[in-house]
Amino acid sequence: MTPREIWLRLTAWMRRDDLSAELAEEVQAHIDLLARDFEQEGMSRADAVAAARKQLGNVAGLREASRDYWGFPKIEAVLQDLRYAFRGLVRSPGFAATVIITLGLGIGANAAMFAVIDRLMLRPFPYMRAPSTVSEVYLQVTSGARRSTWGTVPYTRFLDLRRDTRSFSQYAAVSEWRLAVGVGQATRVRKVAGVSASFFDFFDAAPETGRYFGVSEDVTPLGSLVAVLSHAFWQSEFGGRDVIGQQLQVGSLLYAIIGVAPEGFVGTVNGRVPEIFIPITTVPANIDRSNSQTYFTLYNWDWMEIMVRRKPGVSEAAANTDLTSAYIRSRNAQRATNPRVLPDSVAKPRAILGALRSAAGPDAGLESRVLLWVTGVAGIVLLIACANVANLMLTRNMRRRREIAVRLALGVSRRRLVAQFIMEGLLLSSLGAVAALLVAQWAGIAIRSLLLPEGSTFNLSSDWRTIGVAGACALAATLLTVIAPAFLATRSDLAATMKAGAREGTYRSSRARSALLVMQGALSVALLVGAGLFVRSLNNVLKIPLGYDASTVLDMFLDFRGLTLDSAERVVVQRRLLATAQTIPGVEAAARVNSGLFRTNTAALRVPGIDSVQRLGRFNFQLTTPDYFRVMRTRILRGRGFTDADGTAAPQVAVVSEAMSRALWPGEDPLGQCLQVSFNPGTRSESAPCSTVIGVAEDAAYQDVTDEQRFVYYLAVDQVDPSLFSAIIVRMREGKIEEGIERVRRAMQAAMPGMGFVVVRPVQEVVDDRRRGWRLGATLFVAFGGLALVVAAVGLYGVIGYNVAQRMHELGVRVALGARSSSILRLVLSQGLAFAAAGVTIGLALALVASRWIEPLLYKQSPRDPVTYAAVGAVMVAVALAASAVPAFRAVRADPNRALRSE
Amino acid sequence: MSDSPTPAPILAGTLDLLILKTLSVGTLHGYAIAQHIKRLSRDVLRIEEGSLYPALQRMKVKGWIASEWKKSPTGRKARYYKLTAAGRKQLGEEESDFERSVAAITRVLRRADS
Repeated sequence: MTPREIWLRLTAWMRRDDLSAELAEEVQAHIDLLARDFEQEGMSRADAVAAARKQLGNVAGLREASRDYWGFPKIEAVLQDLRYAFRGLVRSPGFAATVIITLGLGIGANAAMFAVIDRLMLRPFPYMRAPSTVSEVYLQVTSGARRSTWGTVPYTRFLDLRRDTRSFSQYAAVSEWRLAVGVGQATRVRKVAGVSASFFDFFDAAPETGRYFGVSEDVTPLGSLVAVLSHAFWQSEFGGRDVIGQQLQVGSLLYAIIGVAPEGFVGTVNGRVPEIFIPITTVPANIDRSNSQTYFTLYNWDWMEIMVRRKPGVSEAAANTDLTSAYIRSRNAQRATNPRVLPDSVAKPRAILGALRSAAGPDAGLESRVLLWVTGVAGIVLLIACANVANLMLTRNMRRRREIAVRLALGVSRRRLVAQFIMEGLLLSSLGAVAALLVAQWAGIAIRSLLLPEGSTFNLSSDWRTIGVAGACALAATLLTVIAPAFLATRSDLAATMKAGAREGTYRSSRARSALLVMQGALSVALLVGAGLFVRSLNNVLKIPLGYDASTVLDMFLDFRGLTLDSAERVVVQRRLLATAQTIPGVEAAARVNSGLFRTNTAALRVPGIDSVQRLGRFNFQLTTPDYFRVMRTRILRGRGFTDADGTAAPQVAVVSEAMSRALWPGEDPLGQCLQVSFNPGTRSESAPCSTVIGVAEDAAYQDVTDEQRFVYYLAVDQVDPSLFSAIIVRMREGKIEEGIERVRRAMQAAMPGMGFVVVRPVQEVVDDRRRGWRLGATLFVAFGGLALVVAAVGLYGVIGYNVAQRMHELGVRVALGARSSSILRLVLSQGLAFAAAGVTIGLALALVASRWIEPLLYKQSPRDPVTYAAVGAVMVAVALAASAVPAFRAVRADPNRALRSE
Repeated sequence: MSDSPTPAPILAGTLDLLILKTLSVGTLHGYAIAQHIKRLSRDVLRIEEGSLYPALQRMKVKGWIASEWKKSPTGRKARYYKLTAAGRKQLGEEESDFERSVAAITRVLRRADS
């Protein structure tokens, strides 16, 4: 159709009534002229008019044929179907509401999961040019039986790989930090991204104002102190004013603002969106690393990630080969400075490209795997919902049997009828999709804190990707739920249906509906088994003794921000801070620790008489003050903990964890044994002094909670280096921990020298975080399993209820013939139970087969746990009974009089 | 009427051509168009009114013809159709298409005869 024709049709459509009248007039003129000619040929007036009428034939048909050109007949047919469908739904609001809610929940579950997965794993970063060619570099080595993959590397590694590879057109270094930004009361902890100057070249994102930093400002050892603000930070903190050239305290250094990134620019964020971008070469000096002059020649600090862009025509496999050989060269260079680096034959080092989003990368944790599983589960929930809706459609179409038969008899084509059914289905699932987006928005906000990094936005009204997925789900749901019932309905035997009359007395069971019902039940049972297994697995994780009690422990991170102190001054300041902490009201005990509680701290460890300690596993150390074990409530099982007597001048002592003692000295007394610890990778540990083991502590889980290898040793911080910067942990007496946090923060902030800054947080949060993956699986599986159960119960209720309604006549006759209430009850309930039994049997079998694949996601939980299976079976049967009880009691009240009277 | 020859069917796709060609002579109403074609074809081609009027509506939305109501010489009000510029172009195309296919069909028929 040409635009002109569309216009002409449109104007014709608007004047279609006028046009119809004009056509009638024109045809009448034609008849008159024709009759006049016939009259002239010798016919009588009456005959002539009759003959003219006859020749014109079917005037209505002529008008109908003309009408096709006044407007757009295909669109009008669709609109007519839509109107018809809408009227049909308004007439049965209960049916419409059930379908819309069921689909809304089913599609909503999928939309919410997609929205989360999309944000965590799929969505390309805003402004990134050709994202398919950009990757992060991941490294892999084998140590012991474990193959580990990680993406955090030393700056020196970045320089080595950039120098020794040929496959990439662009390289960038990225590291994310939380730094104190601003001065005085306005100071806040902000997300700061240290990036190389090349980082901005990965994007097509012209700065909102000012400029980005260049290569000359990103040089080792210390780059220029210049900062680029995020658009959101610029707006919220500076109100969008001209800030170029202003100074901004970021961490310990003062930066000049040189530019603002465009709106929505987030870099390649994992987690919270960065608010400030600074040259990566200013990070080491900023965070007071003692090696801020040497970090680009050493390999002992993993702190940044590498982002690369493949050259055109270079395959990922070729790039991986290139990277791996560069990595091996780099390891050789590293081995020259640190002989502890495992030989290549053992470590089998490899460097590979992976996704920029860590959740989709090769080192993605338990959470990502659980999320993908739950996405599959959401799909199953949708299937169950679709089965339910299909069932409702079948039931509804059976009720409309007569109407359909009449319309078919009147000559409406089967195709047209099916088209109307499909239109009705589309209308329903579109409404369902709208409901789904509301459900997803609401559910998304509820699960956001569990799933997404803090500060993530979750607004689906402008999220076209999620809206698209919801639309696609709705379309799939229409295909699944409408087409088969529509064809089944229009295939019915016309004559038989018409003859059956108004009373639909005959009860007809439908195999299609039964199959759908059993399928729903089976899938819900399988999901519930999954939910049960995840809950039991979470229970097992929660039951693991941690070896400490984190409930009222606060962790204080002390940021001295640019304060230059010599080591003697540092000793004084830190002693004073610890003393302050101990005197805060409500604090039971306080201790210093060398770094955050859950960091990995490894040093060169040697034990006389043991060939290579490293072969046994990974040994973490913790440097502490005497009260440490009191604060953490870690019990000393043998010997003693540290005391104030274990000072600088006293003999060096150590406490080891029970597991470590058993691994190192099986069957021997650990007390009095010697540990040789060397913190400087350059010196050999043979020459390190002996630290005598004075106590054995209970095993404490500082890394992965489920890790069995809890090899930890504790040294007195004063004996290692009393001037070492450290964090402070305090045990609060019972009470409101929130109040305690603020009291402790205020007291410590007042005691901090200079621009010092204190961040206080409950250790329990960190512990919970470590169990998040387990909790996630349990929560989401239970949510979706419950949803599936509800949907299946509604489906069962609907079908049993319909069957009872259909059999009312028969049941009435039975009552009239003397059937007792109990037998009627049994009749209906047994039907519900039969469905439940079939669903449970198939569902449990399904679960048994599928559980093999979720075994790796469970902690010490057999996927074939009989208790879970039995419990789920019982729940399903109980729900089936409850769902059939209501119609069953209605059946008992079947009125024999009505049944007999209608006979 | 009795001496009129047996009417022949309008060849598929030639209705538009006939109407366009007829209107290229001048402005005519529907009845006149039918009469004109009947007369020129010596009563061989008869246009059914049931197809003439829908065809006129179709050609109107295609923009090939335009119409207006006028008094006929006999004093009756009638709708008169005339060719537009687009219609004239369409006529040229349809004419040459038609001639090409007639020539081709004729060639095939002659070859088959000999």
